[in-house]
Amino acid sequence: MEYADPGLARERTELAWTRTAVSFAALGAAILKYRPLIGLPVLVLSAVVWRLGRLPVPARAGRTRDRRPLLITMTTVGVSLVALALSFLGPGIAPLR
Amino acid sequence: MDKKISTMPGRGIRRAGMRQPGGERVTDHPGGDDSPVTSESGDGTEPDARYTFANERTFLAWSRTSLALVVGGLAIAQLLPPFPGIPWGRHLIGTPLILLGCAVSVISYLEWKASQRALRHGQPLPRSRLPQILAIAIAVIGLIAAALALLSAVGVP
Repeated sequence: MEYADPGLARERTELAWTRTAVSFAALGAAILKYRPLIGLPVLVLSAVVWRLGRLPVPARAGRTRDRRPLLITMTTVGVSLVALALSFLGPGIAPLR
Repeated sequence: MDKKISTMPGRGIRRAGMRQPGGERVTDHPGGDDSPVTSESGDGTEPDARYTFANERTFLAWSRTSLALVVGGLAIAQLLPPFPGIPWGRHLIGTPLILLGCAVSVISYLEWKASQRALRHGQPLPRSRLPQILAIAIAVIGLIAAALALLSAVGVP
């Protein structure tokens, strides 16, 4: 239930989701350069994030119970651990390419 | 429709009909007095959608910050030419950046949750600790980078 027309607030939030998706894409592209096999899934992930931002959340269930922020956080932590591993493995290991 | 901008409790007009079954307190959420009160025991009431949206945007902005830190850390570790004489120097900058990104992501989620809870209960929003954490961490990493640059210029024995 929304009490007032959130109007531009909704739009601003959708744009924020889009920017976040672009950030994921940037990370994916940065990994893609040396490890396409890992970079590609991250790029796909950015499309998923973009879609999440446009998801109509069942309003009555309450945005407070929104699971998307937790999802974003877990994804970011996972991706950053992958980035950490990659930063130590270096760009040249064939099996992971 | 008359909108109150305050998130502080106790500012609005209390009406008998607003009392929740089983709950003692009446939350004057910013959505106005004629908005329905969803009765979710012990979990407050659904706040004005605009505040929820704003909270979500703040969380997303911090998420982007953390992603940028991770990208930066990875780029430094992989793309930067090694410091002469200090081959592990890149990791000394890159690894803290990636870990900082990880921490910012987790903390921003916890703060989003705390803010959402405060909004539901009409309490003042908790102060964010992230700006302080980020500023201190970036300052420390900057000092490390400066020290590495100096050391490699001078030449490590």
